[in-house]
Amino acid sequence: MKSEIRPIDESLSEFLRDESRSTGSADTISFPTSEEEIRETVKSEYSQGHRITVQGGRTGLAAAAVPNGGHVLNLSRMNKILGMRQENGVFYVTVEPGTVLSELKKALSSKKIPTAAFDAQSMEAYRAFCASPLQQFPPDPTESSATIGGMTACNASGARSYHYGATRNWVEGLRLVLSDGDVLLLKRGQTFADGKKLTLTSVGGRTITVDLPSHTMPKTKNASGYFTADNMDAVDLIIGSDGTLGVLSAIELRLCPEPEIMWGLTCFFGSEDSAARFVDLTRRAIGNLASLEYFDCGALTLLRRQKEQTTAFARLEKIPEDADCAVYTEIHCQNEDEAYRSLFTVGDIMRQCGADESKTWVARTAQDRDRLYFFRHATPESVNMTIDKRKKETPGLTKLGSDMSVPDEALVRVLHMYNEDLQAAGLEYVKFGHIGNNHLHVNILPRNMEDYKAGKAIFKKWAEEITKMGGAVSAEHGVGKLKAAFLEVMYGHEGIAAMARIKRSFDPAGLFGTGNLFNPADFE
Amino acid sequence: MKFIVCVKQVPGSNEVRLDPETHAIIRDAHAAVINPLDYVALDCAVKLKRRNGGEIIALSMGIPATERLLRDACARGADRAMLLTDRAFAGSDTLATSYALSLGIEKEGSCDLILCGKNAIDGDTAQIGPELAATLGYNLITDVTEVIDIDKKFITAVKTTDSGSETVKAALPAVITLLNGREMPALPTVSGVRYSLEAPVDKYTAAELGADTSRTGFAGSPTSVVKTFVSENTRECRDMGLDAAAAAAFLIDEIRKAGGAQ
Ligand SMILES: Cc1cc2nc3c(=O)[nH]c(=O)nc-3n(C[C@H](O)[C@H](O)[C@H](O)COP(=O)(O)OP(=O)(O)OC[C@H]3O[C@@H](n4cnc5c(N)ncnc54)[C@H](O)[C@@H]3O)c2cc1C
Repeated sequence: MKSEIRPIDESLSEFLRDESRSTGSADTISFPTSEEEIRETVKSEYSQGHRITVQGGRTGLAAAAVPNGGHVLNLSRMNKILGMRQENGVFYVTVEPGTVLSELKKALSSKKIPTAAFDAQSMEAYRAFCASPLQQFPPDPTESSATIGGMTACNASGARSYHYGATRNWVEGLRLVLSDGDVLLLKRGQTFADGKKLTLTSVGGRTITVDLPSHTMPKTKNASGYFTADNMDAVDLIIGSDGTLGVLSAIELRLCPEPEIMWGLTCFFGSEDSAARFVDLTRRAIGNLASLEYFDCGALTLLRRQKEQTTAFARLEKIPEDADCAVYTEIHCQNEDEAYRSLFTVGDIMRQCGADESKTWVARTAQDRDRLYFFRHATPESVNMTIDKRKKETPGLTKLGSDMSVPDEALVRVLHMYNEDLQAAGLEYVKFGHIGNNHLHVNILPRNMEDYKAGKAIFKKWAEEITKMGGAVSAEHGVGKLKAAFLEVMYGHEGIAAMARIKRSFDPAGLFGTGNLFNPADFE
Repeated sequence: MKFIVCVKQVPGSNEVRLDPETHAIIRDAHAAVINPLDYVALDCAVKLKRRNGGEIIALSMGIPATERLLRDACARGADRAMLLTDRAFAGSDTLATSYALSLGIEKEGSCDLILCGKNAIDGDTAQIGPELAATLGYNLITDVTEVIDIDKKFITAVKTTDSGSETVKAALPAVITLLNGREMPALPTVSGVRYSLEAPVDKYTAAELGADTSRTGFAGSPTSVVKTFVSENTRECRDMGLDAAAAAAFLIDEIRKAGGAQ
């Protein structure tokens, strides 16, 4: 059965946008509720030559879910937990792609999972799960209304990825609906490339041969284009493919026990160089930190202003007056003694870097931790609010957000580059995010279209510089439409051509996620 | 000045679990936290001490594991703590609790200001502060949102009332109970946590306090709990499949049927 195809009218216009705040166009939309409906809809739309843009929670920041004409396949109604299994003491849970991260987290932490659709094996695993210590799915991309399908499609990360890695590390298997409605079922550990040649067989018996690109991926955190490596697992090609190869209809996730202890700590520094030194020393000294997050001077200024001016943010923590920038870290471990040792080691290092232990925020309860998460989430939210305000006067403006990572040794160099270039151009900006992975989001807040153009030019230049440093142009948000131009800087002409060949073997007419990863013209 | 802040251990999650046999609240030491409004009281004391100097003592009656939470109070600015812990205190209602706490306070000798959260999120009675004031014969200001001034003799504070707020001046010693103010209470600091591991936490039994055991625990509690249960949420969500006008008409009808506004 095909799901209802509705024309896009005013009442559905929200489905032309995502959190990147850019708007696209489309003729029709559907909201399938089962894999069968996805298959029928894809088969019919594809055979009519309609472009198909897949949507999850539309929280993406790279406009990957913003349609580029044709049909919108919105998966928000496919949000069931399909089953569980336990193998060698590890739990796995299979979900539909539209499952919202916060709902999954709630189900896991309360151990309340609707089991109506579970088979006998799933029920047995569920009973064992209920009797076991709390289990978690660690990826945590700040915006918890993201869906598992979206997170898998753009290999999302987040604060805790410093320790737990990106979504990729936690995806154990998946089902991908192909352009002809057939399905590809992949399980980690079952299908590997032979060197750079990958041969896949669909459920319907069709063979797909893929020549993987010859370039090597950067060793940093990375979500830039198709994953490639010698003898790689086929699952890894689909993860991070940004909705350009097919439609994920089910995803199996691996879980791990939640640590007994999770303590958050925010510390403040008088200068960015001291903060960078602190990061360098702590990540060498301590092995049980789950995250290292940064708030630069611009971010703290913005948050101070928000606290004063916006009721919704009045409850933000009061930032010490002499603080220039801040680092948040989270200690994950199994016992309190270890946690105290780590906390005090961090304290020693921060003093060495000129910070004051009596001006810190320690969160040892879930309630206190939530306050620090609220503070963390308030940063991108405040940037978006500022842009929305400015957009009213200059409708063409959007946020300019970078998502680049570099190797450890280039952290200080990249920080200096950011500041020098932005200050020389006289731009307003905030830097925040995953400093433990040398991966900061630089958000430029343009005041007018000149600022906007200047910012875009700077990002282009950074893509080149960061590639030279051995970094990645998109570390976690996916490339989408907004960063497609950077990919070529990173992989060169030949690299892009090789990726386009992969896309063709899945999507001969180039209709899935048109504009994502590739410039549509280039692709044709 | 000497400030005493009364703190209570409450469950850390919103979901209160009851023992199916005894109907008592299951207190899991690990998930327990200090009652949120007690943090507000502690934070108020920390600010007053910063202005006027003095000493802050966190006081609790509870099981031995409550020591962990008293050390947390020390991480947040208390100088030291007192824990009243004894089987004789088990089963105390608010009257028996305030009696025990008053003995702890008397053990301290003099004291200028006692600060309590207005109510605890588990029992929700808001009785401890007023009962303490009555037992000790101190002045009382409830529902305080801000302390404007305190000196050796008087405290001036803003309290919330049904119709707005009042500014009240009371002679010390006094008891105040606190509501959330504009600011969140400050979080602990690393130096605070270091201090808390060494901070003095003195423990007292009923005998050491010279308690009259007919006034403590079950014996001293006139309140009897007849039944406790977790209320069931029977609301349900129905998709009526109506357009805006029909939905509005339907709602008006439902409100009328329920005896709502005409
Ligand atoms: C305030 C804020 C903070 C954020 N912080 C972070 C962060 O720290 N780290 C991070 O990684 N991200 C972050 N994000 C970005 C975002 O939350 C993630 O990228 C998220 O994973 C996208 O999920 P989604 O369901 O919203 O996907 P969408 O935006 O709907 O789609 C994203 C892409 O996935 C594709 N897609 C979705 N579902 C499927 C499917 N079933 N099959 C095939 N393709 C599919 C879409 O076509 C599109 O290409 C943040 C976003 C916001 C708003």
